[in-house]
Amino acid sequence: MNVSHVPLPATVQFAPDYPVETQRLLLRPFSRGDVDAVYSYRSRADVAEYLFDPPMTHEECAEAVRQRIGQIAFSGEGDKLLLAVERKEDQRLVGEVSLIWRSVADAQAELGYILHPDAQGQGLATEAGRALLAFGFEVVGLHRIYARCDARNLASARVMRRLGMVEEAHLREHMQVKGRWDEELIYGIREAEWFAR
Amino acid sequence: MTKNELTVKTDRLILRPLERSDFDAVLSYYSLPDVQRYLDWKARDKIEAKVAFDALRKQTRLTRPGEIITFAIVRKTDGAVMGHVSLRWADAHAAQGEVRFALGPAFRRQGFGSEAVNAVITMGFADYKLHRIFAVTAGKNEAAAKLLKHLGMRLEAHYREHALFQGEWDEELHFAILDREWQRSAKVRDLSRHKVA
Repeated sequence: MNVSHVPLPATVQFAPDYPVETQRLLLRPFSRGDVDAVYSYRSRADVAEYLFDPPMTHEECAEAVRQRIGQIAFSGEGDKLLLAVERKEDQRLVGEVSLIWRSVADAQAELGYILHPDAQGQGLATEAGRALLAFGFEVVGLHRIYARCDARNLASARVMRRLGMVEEAHLREHMQVKGRWDEELIYGIREAEWFAR
Repeated sequence: MTKNELTVKTDRLILRPLERSDFDAVLSYYSLPDVQRYLDWKARDKIEAKVAFDALRKQTRLTRPGEIITFAIVRKTDGAVMGHVSLRWADAHAAQGEVRFALGPAFRRQGFGSEAVNAVITMGFADYKLHRIFAVTAGKNEAAAKLLKHLGMRLEAHYREHALFQGEWDEELHFAILDREWQRSAKVRDLSRHKVA
């Protein structure tokens, strides 16, 4: 068991013990020194292609990191865990992973992940995602966790399937993103499926 | 549009704005549990039902996002008010609409619902220039799912246990169709074989 070294306000209902350790990764709160590392992937067109936001400037990354520093615990609906994904072997920040408490009454949350292209294709998103699913189901007691991606983002859909998630929606032209018709996949996993793995 | 211009005729139906005298007919199905599932206003007693009915009666314009237009589904042969059908303008930027309908139990399984929904979808694409129209139904409502599928709508989502509804985990289906798909199926009919050969 890790002892959390991160001070949390008294209103917090659920927070992981930081850092969350997996086989190859540490999931930890963002800190001010992470801006360059975040910029190294969020500024890229190939990363932004499948995200809602266009490539980010250095200034926008600095602002994003400032916000994320506090997004480390669940106190109520809408709260986010937004964690830096750090590779243990070289201590490099290779991406981010998130869990958003979408509904308290219905016990639902949304999982998200973004990795630097250099770190993709090695199962790291799956490893980080699995750690947040474990937190969501085993600590928070959620009933269902879903994730979504652009329908063209096959790598992301593969991660969701590897996490044991099931395709629940394939929405076509239901919204416009960055001036284009969007096609979106939504995958979900229920509590019972998580514990039956 | 004036109220008279809001009247649409199909083979067997007249769709027109609800009138004050329709209250008893609407009340007869409005408070049924399987209908309540889809309504914006609950009607557990006659006072609540009157409030809900008055709100429905005011839904006669579709001039901005968020607005709903509601029609009584009237049988031509005897003027019976069998149910109501609505079109909601759901999204400003992506021209999305939602169709909803409710039919009294005595009038089901005769194609009246399908005829009414068909007319409202045509109206949504032709008169309101929507890009996509969707419909939401409970996973258990086989009749509604069948109706929407027969109209050529595609099952785009099956959300599993995404919310609690009156203490039970709910399943929700989303059906949708795009304007270009609707035009193809509604107007450009394939010639029957025997006529060509």
